This record gives sequence, structure tokens and C-alpha cells, in this order.
Amino acid sequence: MLLDFERLAGLRPFLIGLTVVVCLFLILPIVFIAALSFGSSQWLIFPPPSWTFKWYQTLFSDSRWLYSALTSLKIAAIVTVLSIVLGFLAALGLNRGSFMGREALRALFLTPMILPVVVLAVALYALFLQLGLAGTTIAFIVAHLLIALPFSIISIGNALEGFDKSIEDAAILCGASPWEARLRVTVPAVSHGIFAAAIFSFLASWDEVVLAIFMASPTLQTLPVKIWATLRQDLTPVIAAASTILIAFTILLMVLAALFRKGRKV
Amino acid sequence: MTEPFLSIRSIRKTYGQVTAVKNVTMDVAEGEFMTFLGPSGSGKSTTLYILAGFQDPTDGDILLKGQSLLSTPSHKRNIGMVFQRYTLFPHLSVGENVAFPLRIRRASQVEIAERVKKALKLVRLEGFEERKPALMSGGQQQRVALARALIYNPPVLLMDEPLSALDKKLREEIQFEIRRIHQETGVTILYVTHDQEEALRLSDRIAVFSEGEIDQIGTGQELYANPATHFVAGFIGDSNFINAEVLSNEGGQARLSLSGGTVIDGVPVHAGKSGGKSVLLLLRPERLSLSTRPLDSGLVVTINDITFLGNNIEVTTHTGNGESLSVRLPFGHEAISSISRGDKAWLSFEPKSTHAFA
Ligand SMILES: Nc1ncnc2c1ncn2[C@@H]1O[C@H](COP(=O)(O)OP(=O)(O)O)[C@@H](O)[C@H]1O
Ligand SMILES: [Mg+2]
Repeated sequence: MLLDFERLAGLRPFLIGLTVVVCLFLILPIVFIAALSFGSSQWLIFPPPSWTFKWYQTLFSDSRWLYSALTSLKIAAIVTVLSIVLGFLAALGLNRGSFMGREALRALFLTPMILPVVVLAVALYALFLQLGLAGTTIAFIVAHLLIALPFSIISIGNALEGFDKSIEDAAILCGASPWEARLRVTVPAVSHGIFAAAIFSFLASWDEVVLAIFMASPTLQTLPVKIWATLRQDLTPVIAAASTILIAFTILLMVLAALFRKGRKV
Repeated sequence: MTEPFLSIRSIRKTYGQVTAVKNVTMDVAEGEFMTFLGPSGSGKSTTLYILAGFQDPTDGDILLKGQSLLSTPSHKRNIGMVFQRYTLFPHLSVGENVAFPLRIRRASQVEIAERVKKALKLVRLEGFEERKPALMSGGQQQRVALARALIYNPPVLLMDEPLSALDKKLREEIQFEIRRIHQETGVTILYVTHDQEEALRLSDRIAVFSEGEIDQIGTGQELYANPATHFVAGFIGDSNFINAEVLSNEGGQARLSLSGGTVIDGVPVHAGKSGGKSVLLLLRPERLSLSTRPLDSGLVVTINDITFLGNNIEVTTHTGNGESLSVRLPFGHEAISSISRGDKAWLSFEPKSTHAFA
């Protein structure tokens, strides 16, 4: 291959250096935030003069933080379930169907990935206002579902691509109705795609802030919205603590996904 | 007249402009092993898929014990099928794969265990219950698929080139198993292959497919001895075709003139699309006799090559006007020692046992 790593011997130090810089650029802010959340300085001084858990204590003693975390979890969980169910159905149709405009439909489903989120947010906000749904959980879920669905369609679609339909046909001849065959044979066979879809859908909703700001109401705030709202009032290390928890949960999910993928290979 | 067990009637299937199956009609007896033999693209799989209910025919009907199958959806047809590709359910063990049809039919736990054991015994895979399909060879997977297709005692078992992905030795081994299983269970089998040897080895009768139509149905011997068309003659067994001229034709028995002026009499002629005077004469390599001495009714040829093939010897030759002919002689044939490349020789054969196709 032209870009074979072995062949680029002369460029190797440069490439390795570049990779390290990019990784640092990605990782340092996370490390920085986590460090600040354990720092004693109220003014977020770095390096922290001493270490403390008090910001976490404040965080956990304030029921509004806990409530917003639960809201985040609830919305992300519902979005995940809807996303994999609808994603499976959509992927099945796009994969198996032979109807007019199939490719156009596929592209349409994926537009939320490339559309500026702010544009989507304004449009949805206007729509929900019209429908009288602004500020409701339903609106929140629909908005997040819209950005989660492309991930499901892509990962479940890829898994279906690698699944031989004859296997489903065999189940049907064995006596299973077409939907029974899909549930009992196709779904387990593409479970790795469904699992990836679930992780990505959950994360798409869990750490999403732009749509969330538009969909939120004073009584309906997800964790990122709460962080953002607090940030506008005052800069306290409690925000660093909340952010660290948000990030920790995200990393945990990614690690789980990686472990699952590795487990499948052996 | 007794009702045929399975009756395929004037099936036609088109996909837009493409006609996959033009006109297929056949009756299959209960317990029969019927093979669809034909080149790739001749409509064998499509016919099988129509039987399975995955495709609806554009025209025609299929009757099983006198009842049309067409209005019954695939999953209620109770038909068994083994596919060309490996179709075991990847997430289930071998035992659970074979149990699947019974679980769908809500059989009792005890009955399932007993019948799975019996089915795996039938395909000689006892003790493989816990194995995952991915850890089995292709041949084993197809045997599990066979057990899964037979466990619910289907009236008809469809097999679509189930051995095409296996190597020759394994293929022969499983052909033997399939024959044994057919005899043990007495199930009616419709088997698709493009391999004539496989068809001859397995089948009671063979339907030769060509371009979406059946050219001829018969036992292997019938197809070999009395091919109805040029295509069947070329597809079953080895064959040479040479040009000939019809001098006279009385009731299908013709007098022909061959290259070099040889005239033979009493050759069965099969009418074809062109009703002209020129025909193709089928000469089976193993039914030609070769002589180094001139023969009155013989065909003069020149020897190209002599190849020793173990139990017989292949002699390739060409006629005066350049048509090539191969001859299969038994090992030790007297002519072998006295011929060599470039020599003249005389081929003779029984006119009644050959066929001419217009
Ligand atoms: N779904 C389909 N759409 C269009 N053409 C098809 C389809 N299935 C089969 N055909 C065509 O029908 C013909 C017969 O195919 P098939 O029954 O698969 O042949 P065989 O099994 O004898 O190789 C082929 O020319 C094939 O291209
Ligand atoms: Mg085929």
C-alpha cells in the first residue's frame, strides 16, 4: 500500500509526534477538568493548591443535580430503545426493499448527522411550539431520537449487510412466520450491530446539549443543560465535578462496548 | 387415474424482461428422488423457490396430493429445504438448530430431546448437540441442516446445490449419505445440481433444464441412451457431434451421409427447430470402435493423440473435414499397439444406438 507505515520510515518520527500531539489535545481537557473537580480552589486554579471531595459532596447533596442526571438517564434510555427498534425496521427496509427512491430515503434518514444541530434545534423548537409540545418529555425524546437514529440505521444496516437472508428463509421453512423468524433468528444474528446502535444512541442523547437547551424547560433539564445553565450563573468547581461524572459514564460505556467487541472475536 | 403426489403444472416466472422459468411441468411420485439438472441460469433454483413459496409463479400451479400449494405461505407449507449456502442459525447450538422447527411447533421438551437425538443420529452427528455451527466443517453444517429440515417429517425435501461449496471427495461422501437417508426415510426429494455425475449418482429420475424449460425427464440410463435433444445428449455423458446429411427419413429412422461419403442407415432422428436436411450425429466416445484396417461402413479419421487414463485409453482423432472425435477404448484394446499419431484409422459404430438431431 502507498501509505504503508513501514514504507514511510523517514516520516515516522514526525507522524508519531503528530499523533501524540493530537491525542494530548483530545485527552488533556478531560484530565484538566477531572483534576479541577478534585481541587480545593474555588477559582479553578491549576494546578490545584490541595485536593478535596467537597465539590462532589455539594453536587450529591443538591437534589437538582441528581434530578437532572436521572432525567438524562431516562431520556437516553427511552431514546436508545426507540432508536434500536426503529433503526432495525428502517435498516431492514433499506437493506431488503426494492422500492423507488430507496437511496434517497437512506440519505434522508442520515441528514441529522450532517445538518447543523442548531438549525435542527430551531426548526424542532418552532414545530413543537406549534404542536403545543414545547418543553415536554415527548418533544425531548423525539429531538434526541432524530440524531440517534442515523447511528442505529448505519450500525444495524452494516450488520444486516453481513447476514445471509437465506438463514431467515430457512427459519421460515422451519415453520416460523416471517416476523417470528426475524425476531428469533435475524435479531440475535445481528445483535452486535444492535449493541453498537444502543451504545451510540445512548451517548448521542446522554451528552447532547444544543437540542437539549431548546427542548428543556425549568422543570425538564438534562445533565448537560444543568451544567450549561449553572455555568451561566457562576463558575464553580461543582460544574467540573458534574462534568467529570458525565465523562466517566461515557468512558465506561465505551469501554463496555470495546470489551464486548473483543469478546465476540475470541 | 391416480393422483400424482406432487404435480408442477406449466410454471412460468418472469422478472420484468427476464424469463427465469418458461414452462415447467412434471409429476413426482411419493418417495421419488427427482433431480433438476442444468447449467447455471437455467431456472432450477427459481422452480425450487416457487415450490418453497419464496417466489410466486407468474403462471401455473403446484399441487401436493391434489391441493394447490400457492395460497399457502412458506411457513405453513411444511416443506423441508437445504440451501446452497450454509444457513444454520449462528447463535444457536447444533442441537438447538435441529430443535428449532419443533420449538416453533410447540412440541414438548421430552419429545424434542428424543427427536433431536434421532435426527442427529440419522445424519451421523450424534453427540454434536452442544457444538456451535461456526466450529463445524461445511460438510457437517450441511448435514445438520439436513437433520433440521427432516425433523418435522416434511412431505417434500428441497435441496438447492447443497454440496456445491464442498470439495470433490467430501461431496461424494455426503452424496452417499444423502442416498442412504433417502432410502431410510423414504422422503420425496427434489434436488438441484449442475453436476451430471451427482445427478446420475443420486437420482431416480432427472429433469434436464435448459433456458427455463425441461428438455427431458427420465432415469439416467434413459437420458444417456435416448436423449431427446441435442442439449441433453451433450449434457449427460461424454459426447461427440459430427455433421451429417439426411438422405431419406422414414418414420424417424434416417439414412445419413457422413463426411468422406460414408452412408449409414437406421439412425433415429429427433426433429428440432430447423427442419433442414443437415443434422448433428451423436457419437459416444465409449461406443466407438477403432480399427487400423479399412472398413466399408467406417468413418475415416486421422489420429491426433493417444492418452492413457488408467482403466481406459482416450484417442483423439479428426475426420477428413476437420471435425474432432474422441474415442474411449478399453485398456488392452488390440488397435492400441499398432497406431500412432498421424495414422489413418476407421471408426465404426452401431447406427441404431446413435442419435441425430435436426
Ligand atoms: N430475483 C431475480 N431477479 C431477476 N432475475 C432473476 C432473479 N432470480 C433469478 N433470475 C434470473 O433467472 C434465471 C434463472 O435463474 P435461477 O433459477 O437462479 O437459475 P439456476 O438455479 O438454474 O442457476 C437467471 O437468468 C437469473 O439471472
Ligand atoms: Mg441455482
